[in-house]
This record gives sequence, C-alpha cells and structure tokens, in this order.
Amino acid sequence: MTVPLLITLSVMLTFALVGPLLARGLPPAVATRLLVPASLVVGVCAAWALLIVGFTWVAQLGPVSRYGDWSPEQLRQDTPFPTIIAVGCGLVAVGSVTQASVVGTRRIRRMLAVRHACGPLGEPGSLVVLDDDRPDAFATPGAGGRIVVTTGLLRALTAAERRALIAHEKAHLTHRHAWWLLATEVAAAANPLLRPTAAAIEHAVERWADEDAAREVTDRRLVARTLARTALLTRAATVPATGLAAAGGDVPCRVRALLAPPPRPRILPLTVLLALLTTCTVAAGTVQHRGDQLLDRAGATPTGEPPIHHHRHHLP
Amino acid sequence: METGRRPRGTLEQEVVAALAASARSMTPAEVRDQLGADLAYTTVMTVLARLSEKGLVTRKRVGRAYAYTAIRDEAELTARQMQKLLDAGDDRAAVLSRFVGTLTDEDERLLVDLLHHAEGDDQP
Repeated sequence: MTVPLLITLSVMLTFALVGPLLARGLPPAVATRLLVPASLVVGVCAAWALLIVGFTWVAQLGPVSRYGDWSPEQLRQDTPFPTIIAVGCGLVAVGSVTQASVVGTRRIRRMLAVRHACGPLGEPGSLVVLDDDRPDAFATPGAGGRIVVTTGLLRALTAAERRALIAHEKAHLTHRHAWWLLATEVAAAANPLLRPTAAAIEHAVERWADEDAAREVTDRRLVARTLARTALLTRAATVPATGLAAAGGDVPCRVRALLAPPPRPRILPLTVLLALLTTCTVAAGTVQHRGDQLLDRAGATPTGEPPIHHHRHHLP
Repeated sequence: METGRRPRGTLEQEVVAALAASARSMTPAEVRDQLGADLAYTTVMTVLARLSEKGLVTRKRVGRAYAYTAIRDEAELTARQMQKLLDAGDDRAAVLSRFVGTLTDEDERLLVDLLHHAEGDDQP
C-alpha cells in the first residue's frame, strides 16, 4: 500500500513540476482543454489516496470498527502506516477537499452575482460601451456574458483593432472561459502545489482568446498590435500603477506569441500527459484496492468471535 | 488586406463600437468606410436599422440619408461598478476577464520594442 501511495504522490509532484512546461508546449486551446481536467484528475487521485490512508486509522476507532464489522487489533497489526502518518494523510485530504469546496462555492457565487448584475446590461453577448476616458476592456463570465469597453479605448483604436479586441473578448464568452478558470482555481485550491500549473492555464486561456481573434480577423499581427497598444495606453492612463494583480497578464509574452507562427500540437507533451494520468489513476486505484484488502483481512478474522461470512467491505 | 467573415452578431458590435468611438453621428456610408470595403452597403444599412429598432442607436435625418449615434443608458452604471472592482484590485473581480493586465516597467519597454518591430515589418 505504501508503494502505490508513493507513486500517486510522486506522479502528482511530477505533474505539478511539468504542468507549466506542458501548458507552454501545447496550442493554448488544447492546453486548456487537457490540463484543466488533468489537474482535477491528479488532484482528486492524490486526495483520494491520502483519504484512504487516513481511513486505515479511522477504521481502528471503536464505533467505526463495530459498524464495519472488522477487528481493530488486526487492522493495527496489518496496516503499514504508523498512526501519525495515517492521521497526517487524512488531515491533508480533508483540508484539501474543504479548501476546494470553499473556493469553488465562493467563485460560483461571484459568477452568479455578476451574471445577475448583468441583467439590465443589454442582451446576452452584447457590447456595453462605458462612457469613460480611461482605456479599459473586459468580459463578464458565461456564454451570455457582456463585453464591456470604454469609449476611451474605442476612440484610441482603429476600426480593425476594435474588431480584434471584440473578437478576443467574444472568444472568452463563446468558449465559456470563466468555467475553465473556475475548475483551474478549484484544483489549485485543493492542492497548492498545482498553483504554477494553474497560472500557466490562466495564461493559456488568454492565449486561446488571442489565437481565436487572430483566426477571425485573419491577421496575427493586427491582434498583436491591438494588444500591445491597448496595454501601453492603459498603462499611460493608470500611472502611478496601483500594483493590482489583474487578469490578462503577461502581455509581452502574448504579443511575442502572436508575432510568431501559430502553435502546432506536439506529440511529446501529449504522451507525457497521458502517461502521468494513467500512472496516477492506476496507482490511486491500487491504493484503494490494498485498503479494501486490508479491511477484508481484518474482517475475516474478528477477534473473540466466530468467523462470519466472508464478505468484502468497501471503503466510503 | 483580406478579412475573414464575421460571425453573426459581431458586425453589430463593431458598428456600435464605431459609433461610440466617433465624436459625431455617422452615416451608413461612413460606417462602411471604417469597417472595411468588403462589406456591402445594404448589410451596414440592415445592421443599423436593427440596432435602431433595439434602441441601441438613434438616428436623425441629414440631407437624404440618416445619421446614427450610439446611445448610452443608465445600464452602464453596473458596468462601471464592475470596472471599479477591477481598478481596486478587488478579489471579486477575479471572475471578469480583462483584455490586458497591468505592465511592469520592463514589460512596457519590451512592448514598445515589439510594437516597433510589428509596425516596422508592416511597411512594404
């Protein structure tokens, strides 16, 4: 049981380390669509394996062992995990699940609040013009979100640049980027080691919208110029910088990517990802299987009672 | 320059954006000239008529044609509140996708270089 647990955890660690590299090695839409579920799978596998190890201790507690009809002594004897390790693993797993639910709930609530507030803002998917001299543009979450742009920015851009800007924000709505970002944030909340990967995914989501816009206006350089000009205009208008951590970050990197040819899918990152996911799932599955066996053994020889029918006890 | 086909609805937004960016009202011909010669005059007319029906633009007669202006309504108050969240670096704004993030001094220098590069290459 120790070996599959260590494999699960080392695959999770490996994924946490190579995740940002994989995100950069794949076209942004592919990177998002693969790495978001991958982060969730890896996070769930690690938490599940830890939860099972924690349960090998919980199962020794009086009421639990009576309910499960297994012998706590036998279990204590058989389990490869010292109490402190088992308790530690269980606490980490519970903390991870709690954190994920708290962050997920909070973010969903915010998305719904913004969606609700958007009610009077034109029709779903429409452009909302804000009468403001400072250049700014953003999209609200969901497929029916709104694209908000200030007159300051609209006036500063050419018609072609405005088209690129609208295409970018529209891509956020069409591909429901808010939901991908929600899943990313939940995975990173459950497992802080996945934070660098989550940051890389957030960047990939912006790049995805950039690539979509480039395809729509059939001019990568136009999108690059729009991005660069908007970022410089925004900066000029907001000096001194407030130092806030805003989305849509790392503009130079996005501009450079648009000045280069469109990215192509590559086999190596896909293979690495597939191998990691398979190993992680199989290893976590093995942890569960071994845990089941442990309880079965403890259940098959209850102390001081005649052996009852052999039946499998499944973990929660 | 060759331009790709616009998905439905996008043209409407481009027209609203063009009108909002303009200091004065615009005729359909002026809107078409700005958005690109690949658009048919009648297409622009149709879009403007639809926007007018929705109450998103107003029109007044200028000579033989109509001139259109973008309308701003009180609904933008909500949008302004969201923008304030972004400006304040408010945690609640995390669900909004901003077009560009904030720049460091280094980013700014890099971007100016990249922009020169991009525009320089544009020259035939």
